[in-house]
Amino acid sequence: MNALPAAEAPAAGAIDAGAGQARRELLRELLHSKTFAVGGVIVAFWCFCAIFGYHIGPYGPFDQDLNSVNAAPSSAHWFGTDQLGRDVFSRVIAGARTVLVVSLVATLLGTVLGTILGLVTGYLRGWVDETISRFIDAVLSLPLIVTAILVIAALGPSNVTLTITIGLIFAPLIGRTVRTAVIQERELDYVTAARLRGENGVYIMFAELLPNVMAPVMVEFTVRLGYAIFTAATLSFLNFGIQLPTPDWGLDISQNFSEITAGYWWEVLFPAAAIATLVIGINLVADAVEGVLDR
Amino acid sequence: MGLALITLWILSVIVFLAGQLLPGDPGRAILGPLAEQRAVTTLDHQLGVDKPLITQYWNWLTGILHGDLGTSYTYQQPIRPFITTALWNSLKLAAVAFLMCVPLAILAGVLAALNVGSWKDRSISVVGLSALALPEFVSGVFLAIIFGIWLNVLPLDATPPPGASPATVVYHLILPAIPLTLVLFGYIMRMARAGTVAALEADYTRTAVLKGLPRSTVVRRHVLRNSLLPTITVVATQVGYLIGGLVVVENMFHYQGIGALVFTAANSKDFPMLEAGVLTIGVVYLLATLVADISYTLLNPRLRLGGAE
Amino acid sequence: MDRNSEKLDQLRTGRSELENHVIDEFLTGHISRREFLRRGSIVGISIPVLSGILAACGGANSSSSSSSSSSTAGSAPKAGGTLRIAGVVPAAAINPLTVADEGGLTMLCQTGEFLVFDDPTTFLVKPMLATSWKANGDGSVWTFTLRPNVKFSNGQTMTSKDVVYSFKQQSDPKNASNALSVFTGLLTPSGVSAPDDHTVEFKLEAPTGNFPWLISSDNYNMIIVPDGTDFSTWEKTFIGTGPFILTKYTAKVGATFHKNPNWWGGQVLPDTLQHIFYPTQQPQILALQSGSVDIVNLIVLQGAQAIFNNPDYNILVNHSSQHRQLSMRCDKAPFTDKRVRQAMALTLNRPEIIKALFQQYGQLGNDSPFAPIFPSTDKSVPQRHEDIAMAKQLMSDAGQSGGFSTDLYTEVYQEIPQYAQIIKQAGAQIGININLHVESQTAYYGKATYGNSDWLDGAMSLVDYGHRGVPNVFLNAPLTSAGTWNAAHFKNPTYDSLYKQYVAAVDLSTQRQLAGKIQRLLLDETPLIIAYFFDGLSATKKAVSGAVTTAMGQIFLSGAGTV
Repeated sequence: MNALPAAEAPAAGAIDAGAGQARRELLRELLHSKTFAVGGVIVAFWCFCAIFGYHIGPYGPFDQDLNSVNAAPSSAHWFGTDQLGRDVFSRVIAGARTVLVVSLVATLLGTVLGTILGLVTGYLRGWVDETISRFIDAVLSLPLIVTAILVIAALGPSNVTLTITIGLIFAPLIGRTVRTAVIQERELDYVTAARLRGENGVYIMFAELLPNVMAPVMVEFTVRLGYAIFTAATLSFLNFGIQLPTPDWGLDISQNFSEITAGYWWEVLFPAAAIATLVIGINLVADAVEGVLDR
Repeated sequence: MGLALITLWILSVIVFLAGQLLPGDPGRAILGPLAEQRAVTTLDHQLGVDKPLITQYWNWLTGILHGDLGTSYTYQQPIRPFITTALWNSLKLAAVAFLMCVPLAILAGVLAALNVGSWKDRSISVVGLSALALPEFVSGVFLAIIFGIWLNVLPLDATPPPGASPATVVYHLILPAIPLTLVLFGYIMRMARAGTVAALEADYTRTAVLKGLPRSTVVRRHVLRNSLLPTITVVATQVGYLIGGLVVVENMFHYQGIGALVFTAANSKDFPMLEAGVLTIGVVYLLATLVADISYTLLNPRLRLGGAE
Repeated sequence: MDRNSEKLDQLRTGRSELENHVIDEFLTGHISRREFLRRGSIVGISIPVLSGILAACGGANSSSSSSSSSSTAGSAPKAGGTLRIAGVVPAAAINPLTVADEGGLTMLCQTGEFLVFDDPTTFLVKPMLATSWKANGDGSVWTFTLRPNVKFSNGQTMTSKDVVYSFKQQSDPKNASNALSVFTGLLTPSGVSAPDDHTVEFKLEAPTGNFPWLISSDNYNMIIVPDGTDFSTWEKTFIGTGPFILTKYTAKVGATFHKNPNWWGGQVLPDTLQHIFYPTQQPQILALQSGSVDIVNLIVLQGAQAIFNNPDYNILVNHSSQHRQLSMRCDKAPFTDKRVRQAMALTLNRPEIIKALFQQYGQLGNDSPFAPIFPSTDKSVPQRHEDIAMAKQLMSDAGQSGGFSTDLYTEVYQEIPQYAQIIKQAGAQIGININLHVESQTAYYGKATYGNSDWLDGAMSLVDYGHRGVPNVFLNAPLTSAGTWNAAHFKNPTYDSLYKQYVAAVDLSTQRQLAGKIQRLLLDETPLIIAYFFDGLSATKKAVSGAVTTAMGQIFLSGAGTV
């Protein structure tokens, strides 16, 4: 019932767990270490741009030159200029900031809320679990983007709304994974012992159970970060994110996409390439993390 | 089934409440900014949006149960034809995407599995991973520029001219279908690979090999049959996901499907249209999941056999 | 001028006071030949009489053959065949009372016709369903004679009953018609009457010399429908008197029309019209390029550059009064100080902005709604230019040398998001830090009442105004103290009284004199920044000719076809 494909792989999980052959594991780890290195370098580059990007570009990301609008890539403007004569290269470099900040904060929010949700539903079970699970099912029966459109259309677009929306939508997804882990853990001796000691529920959930479900929480966090970037960029493209004229890849693409028929491809190709590299980089890292923690 | 109905009901409440929060005013949205306030008030009254929330919800719900999706604020016409047209358009697009993607993805997945660990496997995995991770509008930009602008071989416009032949319709749908396809491609490819790997290692495969059957025969008779069924089942769960991707792709390529309908309705505060559209998506999603669950359960024992610990 | 006084006197006999006034203005040289034609046609002097007067004043031969449709590419279009037109999706049901958008008004004028036609190429009002009209002395009562033997598409003959019904419905506040934006304070249902089957009389609430303008095709809702028509179901039949008859209308998808063999205007060239609706411009351009449509009705330059620079297409250009108003809240610090508002206006490099956003298809604006196309505009008022030094000086005079932060609200519509970004950069030059809020149109307009609308409440607000043939609407709602769209919250008694005088002024020279005063006042006070006016543009295939378009989005195709 998951809105995103890769996170939900009932069969894949079962198959992977069952097919643990030493030779393949070794190969896989090798592959993973490489992917981690490649992914890490890409992500680090964009993080650097996110911090310093407004100052390291050849031009200011906001500087307009109305006398050279829609100029093709040249030695003066490596990635060309957009319809207001702004340097596309400088805007791509500076554009890393919004998407990274939004997705990072959203994922953190989603992970914290989701973990609490998972602990509570998994530990308490009963009617609390039933009610919340039904509600979550309903929310998740809509594709993520559709839910986000509903929420953001209702609250009005801004980066804060965007961040909170993604966080809130991720919370039940993460909560479900954590719940499954908690249900397995709560039957173990140490939980029973704590209960017999007379510890209260909150203590058991957060002091006893939480440390023991940290591995799936970590995996969820890295995997979700990739989806957060996917989602944040997409919603930004649908004009549900940050305001003009902030450099933002998704927004810049939506502003200029209608111009590609006029032949001004550089205004959208380079921001798109930026999103592609970042998303792939994050996924490589997540894949590696998942591989290591799953063992 | 009962659970699915409860889920739908909760969904209808959520969508209804979210619809109430949308900015603007229905009468104003219909009449435009230049209309007089008293006209707006009159229209709001005619539409019944000045009634208490619970009354509005009840009226709407009873309407739905009688098969009446209501009347669009914007078009002042019954909503049902809009939904059916849009859904049909989206299904056409989705069908083209599925037909392009599923055979290729399964082929790639099986190929990777038969060559586990080799460069073939790795490159297929990397391509699959990248395809899976790219937002539709990003791959859409690449494809539109390459095939629509530079090579100029595919039309950028998803809607064919009126009266076009089925072949032309499909031709116009190729470009928007590929971004949808890519995400699915990565996913199905991974599934097919994992399924095939598991089947290759299963007891029945080893037995067959031990019996001295040629490799190609083993693959054809045992591995493919056992790995593809679960893969195909899981593909069914992706229908709902596909609908989500449609919102982006339909807006990008200006295609009047269910995704574009919901997006436009949200932006123009056409609340009955929005609610009907979102519920339709919910129903389609739940139906697809139901079908997938049932077939998955039917095929599951065999799968578990293959992947026993 | 060597005048034939005898002939002139003859022509003047029987003319009303208003008509003779226009003739006097022309004879004394107050208005040009072209404006004489325009004004004369408004007050109801027929074209033969107008040219007679011109002839009597000498050298008239050249004047009558003024510019024809801009699309005519030499040879005449052939009859027959289908024309395919790409338009925008109508925003709502096609109800003649409520249509208020481009897509909808295009539909109305396919089968619907008006009493008078505002010819976009000559700026003259021409007879359409009325053959002639006359005003009383002060312009408070107007009488229209209807064209005989006009038939509706349902076979019924049009009489004054139908015209009276159409006008009563459109001017009735109960019906919340869009035309009320014109009729409020001007015409009520009780003012419409029919002395006989072929005459309709309008008794106005306030006299105006511009009445035929106000009910012409410019007032796009004002089509004539049969007596008793239910407007809410008009969409099913599209009954009208025009050159085409509805074949099929499908909401959101398109509409087809076939020619009306009994049209009063004679032969209709195309057999069929096929209107196809597109949600945005990009697919329209693609459809034109791929040959699946012949005409794109109303396009903007952004994204259509490929068409504009390609000789395979005709661009139909209509100069217009459409513009954007950037309002600054005159009642909220720091914009309470007019020096701050002036400073902001001085930061814009208008020629550069026009070139970037419209190439050659725009005209300079001078911070008043008096567009260059209006005959009453006083062109001697000095044009405001970019002057950063002066702007900084004004800021420091106003005690704002350190600059300030403010918010600008606007809508996603055509070039507006780009223009808003230019404004933000321009303001930054003198320390005004503008936070942009670019919203969907629904969110931006909100409830469109004070206190419930970003459009009307924002410290700065950037809004679109479509084309109007006369500036009355622009001067009233957005600028008068009691105006309902006064986003600038501009309250100036001098302006209010100038506005009243302007509207009541019947002759052009008085109008122009008052316009000059208004223009100077607005330039000094600067409640609004109007940096440009831009042309209404449409595109056709090279081979298509005879299409008549307006800057509002109307398209008249009875004489159009492939060459």
